[in-house]
Amino acid sequence: MEYVIVSFPTDRLVYIDGEQNGRTNEVLRVDAGTHVFELGNLDNFQPAQRKLLVQDTSVLAPLDVAFFRKEA
Amino acid sequence: MRTGIPARLACACIALLLCACTGFAPGNPPLALYQPGAGYRFETLAQEDNPDELFVIVSFSGGGTRAAALAYGVLEALRDTRISWHGHRKALLDEVDVIASISGGSFPAAYYALHGAKIFDEFPQRFLYRPVQSELLHRALSPASWPKLASPDYGRSDLAAQYYDREVFGGATYAEVIANQRRPFVVLNATDMSSGAQFPFIQDQFDLLCSDLAGVTLARAVASSSAFPGGLTALTFRNYAGSCGYRQPSWVQLAAEDHALRANRARSARAQNRLSLAATEPDAEPTAPPRPLRPYIHLTDGGVADNIGLRGPLDAIGSVNHPWSVLRLMNNRSIAKLAVIVVNAATHPPSGRDQSARVPGLIDTLKTAADVPLDNYSADTLDLLAAAVNQFNEEARLLEACARIAGTRCAPDGGAPHRVELYPVEVAFDYIAAEEDRAWFKNLPTSLELPRESVDRLRSVGRRLLAEDPKFQALLKTLQGCLPALGATC
Repeated sequence: MEYVIVSFPTDRLVYIDGEQNGRTNEVLRVDAGTHVFELGNLDNFQPAQRKLLVQDTSVLAPLDVAFFRKEA
Repeated sequence: MRTGIPARLACACIALLLCACTGFAPGNPPLALYQPGAGYRFETLAQEDNPDELFVIVSFSGGGTRAAALAYGVLEALRDTRISWHGHRKALLDEVDVIASISGGSFPAAYYALHGAKIFDEFPQRFLYRPVQSELLHRALSPASWPKLASPDYGRSDLAAQYYDREVFGGATYAEVIANQRRPFVVLNATDMSSGAQFPFIQDQFDLLCSDLAGVTLARAVASSSAFPGGLTALTFRNYAGSCGYRQPSWVQLAAEDHALRANRARSARAQNRLSLAATEPDAEPTAPPRPLRPYIHLTDGGVADNIGLRGPLDAIGSVNHPWSVLRLMNNRSIAKLAVIVVNAATHPPSGRDQSARVPGLIDTLKTAADVPLDNYSADTLDLLAAAVNQFNEEARLLEACARIAGTRCAPDGGAPHRVELYPVEVAFDYIAAEEDRAWFKNLPTSLELPRESVDRLRSVGRRLLAEDPKFQALLKTLQGCLPALGATC
């Protein structure tokens, strides 16, 4: 089991490989391997998606998948 | 008179030859158009009053009528188990979300998917108490079956499927299961002979073949799941890949590309298997219809890939890339309690070979070569379930220990992962306390017929073993539940 935390200034739905999986700013469980992360709702974030290899994480040290608010 | 016999023999031979030349008749129709929201899928089944919060998975192992009767006994026990859930008293059976089955266990699983609670009125007479094996043998030896069996496209399992269709499942197809619109999601499993991968009878799998599971009979699915190698033949399914506009989910390409990185062998293998089933010839004419690389898929007994039916549930618990991912439900904080009830009818009859200095014979050796890896693999599968449960529990222990040492909250910037209570339950003859009793059950044969008394003892021991399982008792305690003794009430 691997662990990620998808960070964003506000609460958003998280999509992993196109499927809804939990919310931002909480530790989520995924299986090891490359996954594509996206946020739901508004399009005011960047990057549009992040493709990352998730491995060698722990519940105490999850991979940070950071998204940022898009400048207006 | 004398000239009549050769003439009749000649006619019979011609008839046999004509039948042998009859073309292959696929038992699975093509899918006109890929529709990810239609067909037999976990997410399309109505939940009604079976929310995900208490999520119950049951697996039924292989083992012929022995496995079917043990599984049926557990279903009866789950029906009689009363629990309190959000202020309501209800049967634990009504909380079962998924049933995964193999071989003999697929008979009650399919019957329950089709008829729901009617199984308790009909199934024993329709299947458990019937001499199914003798009736199958009688049909196979009947001259009326010879022309069909002479065809290279028709095997003994096709004959068995016809028998189950008529005598057990009444001609029902998956369309009727879909129309029921209710959980549990019942996943019958066979084995793809060429890849060795598990082949579940769900629309997500049939999408790969561009085939419509709704048109497949329950009998054919069960016959594939229980096509015991040797005694029964594999069943052939037509692959129409490339004809329905199917698109693989996005994770498949990612996982296939991960293969070289060795990031997650099992996920990459699942991806490769999907790609293999859906592959079409690359250099076909642009105007020509796509040709699948594997035009025919041959399915044998589900026990070849996994004899306890637990691999699918383990993948669902451990992966967000699964057609009924439990991990995804956990991430969405939908599940609070997860029970996995494994009904394992494995036996271990004494061989007596160690009582003699004689070199074991060929049949004994071949049977050992087939059985031992299967039994060891089943043991490893059970260990994987224990390891998965331990991993979830270890998360919580780590966070608690860290908080104790650091004197502060240890969940990183965000919240801790959603905590789920896990209840791995195992019903297996190994846990029968009385040695003589245990030996009797572990010596039962794998056959599609057993004496009525044996069936009744199996039903009864299934209930007793479930009631005695420590994790099941813990589950009942937390749900203020009760499983009464046979004939009693809570």
